Amino acid sequence: MIELDFRLPLAPFTLNVSARLEGTAVAVLGPSGSGKTSLLEVIAGLRRGAVGRVALDGEVFLDSESGKVLDPEERRIGYVPQDSLLFPHLDAAGNVRFGLKRGAGEKTFAEAVSILEITSLLSRYPATLSGGERQRVALARAVATEPRLLLLDEPLAAVDVELKERILPYLLRVRDEKKIPFLYVTHNAGEAGVLAREALLLQEGRVRAIGRVDEVLRPAVLSSADPDASFENVFAGVLEPIEPSDSTAYLRISDEVRLLVPRPIGVAAGDRAVFGVLPDDVLVSTKGLERSSVSARNVSAGEIIGLEPVGADTLARILAGGVEWRAKLTAAAVADLDLSTGKPVWIVVKTHAFRRLR
Amino acid sequence: MSAEDFSILLLTLRVAAVSTLLILPLGIGAAWLLSRWKGRGKVSVETFLSLPLVLPPTAVGLVLLEMLRRSGPVGRLLDRAGVEILFTWKAVVLATAVMSFPLLVRPARAALEEVDPRLIAIGRSLGRGGLDVFARVTLPLAWRGILAGTLLAFSRAFGEFGATILVAGNIPGRTQTLALAIFHRTQIGRDASAFRLVALTVVVAFAAVWTTEILQRRRSRYAGRDVTARPAT
Repeated sequence: MIELDFRLPLAPFTLNVSARLEGTAVAVLGPSGSGKTSLLEVIAGLRRGAVGRVALDGEVFLDSESGKVLDPEERRIGYVPQDSLLFPHLDAAGNVRFGLKRGAGEKTFAEAVSILEITSLLSRYPATLSGGERQRVALARAVATEPRLLLLDEPLAAVDVELKERILPYLLRVRDEKKIPFLYVTHNAGEAGVLAREALLLQEGRVRAIGRVDEVLRPAVLSSADPDASFENVFAGVLEPIEPSDSTAYLRISDEVRLLVPRPIGVAAGDRAVFGVLPDDVLVSTKGLERSSVSARNVSAGEIIGLEPVGADTLARILAGGVEWRAKLTAAAVADLDLSTGKPVWIVVKTHAFRRLR
Repeated sequence: MSAEDFSILLLTLRVAAVSTLLILPLGIGAAWLLSRWKGRGKVSVETFLSLPLVLPPTAVGLVLLEMLRRSGPVGRLLDRAGVEILFTWKAVVLATAVMSFPLLVRPARAALEEVDPRLIAIGRSLGRGGLDVFARVTLPLAWRGILAGTLLAFSRAFGEFGATILVAGNIPGRTQTLALAIFHRTQIGRDASAFRLVALTVVVAFAAVWTTEILQRRRSRYAGRDVTARPAT
């Protein structure tokens, strides 16, 4: 349980957050400069000047009334900032070991290194790592200390982190294998949907929406607050042992749904993988399509569950095979196909529209 | 170099070293406080700490002399404790320490200011206490500037004259450093032997300042690289 009720004066506005979160998996969204990073820094105790109350699982971090402020080293919070902030004078191993007591922590070190797949990076210095590699080392450094809560500032916004290097797949592993609760700042509604249970939407320092992730991530709400929000379709699943061909693979995301995706290199059947498809690459048809009559390999019948304006376009939310898809459509397409909520449609996605996240 | 020259060099090196070691913890502490302090009065304090750089050394020496004489505020306490400082090698150490203090503090402060405070914050959030983070993050990232300041302070201590002569006199074998000996020999017309000492001071000072320059030019081997730069893979 994360209890937040504080005010922090920032340059253009005052960050004013009053929220109670179950706190096992929280996505924090909002436009750039809405106070997301400051929120994380207040929780971690790295930002002074906040007035109010902050508590985690009943332990008070900040209570202005009684004058209590817990030092950051006593909070056991793992913070991964946007720019990683690795110690430049230590190699990756030195960074990961930084928070471990001498002699202890070999097990958590080895675990963190294995989950984040950084064994080959351990002897390298931060200046020689790519943005995505740095993020993984920073996440390992935080995870190795076995924190009570992880705070992750959106790594994708760091300019040099390539799309394929996204931290999301690793965060899924940390979530599932280490079961450490986290707050994750992102602009990507698709990522948030896969990863989080709750979401918090900030706008100009205030909580614009809070609650279950699918409620807060409604495109209409999110895109009006954050014009940069991305509604990527993100799927985490397991690669199936069946080999349709040398260049493709099935990604099973639920009992009913499997997607034909490009075969990732160096991945075996049974491995977990995460793929993304942009809403721009999802086609919508009002007529039933046969896989024998269309080249795209992913065809699925579904139903429109929402049409929400995003800028000049419309984002259609489609439930197909128990999975929600988002397709970006022009206003003309919506009118010509006479689309409305409840209407049965077919979604069509080419195999090569799927990009593996990593 | 005569035996006398050698013993003068040894005495000078010794007092300069003791003086530098003495101001090192104080100087790093002061530099650290100044690098973190953003409140009012910071400029005034910095100016005051830099005064020995610009005041006539004799003025500083006279103030020290007044404080340390038996009737002075500090001298009285020292006298009661049975400690004698004036006109001993300890007075040389004290005078050179005061005069060289700002030369340590200024570069050390600049180096400490360059350490990203967010790195320190991250260190603490990883569970390390403030002193621990200072030793494991701040110092390793700022050591060049601190070493540069230390060498500069040592050079200053090595050549100090004005303040030293007022509080320590010019007593051969006890308080006579190279700078004082050069003055003394010139006074009594031993110019040639004075020049031998001049050559000695040039060698030591050159080595110290040269090292400082190299250290400051190279800066930190991390600072030159943009932390967010793409790697050259």
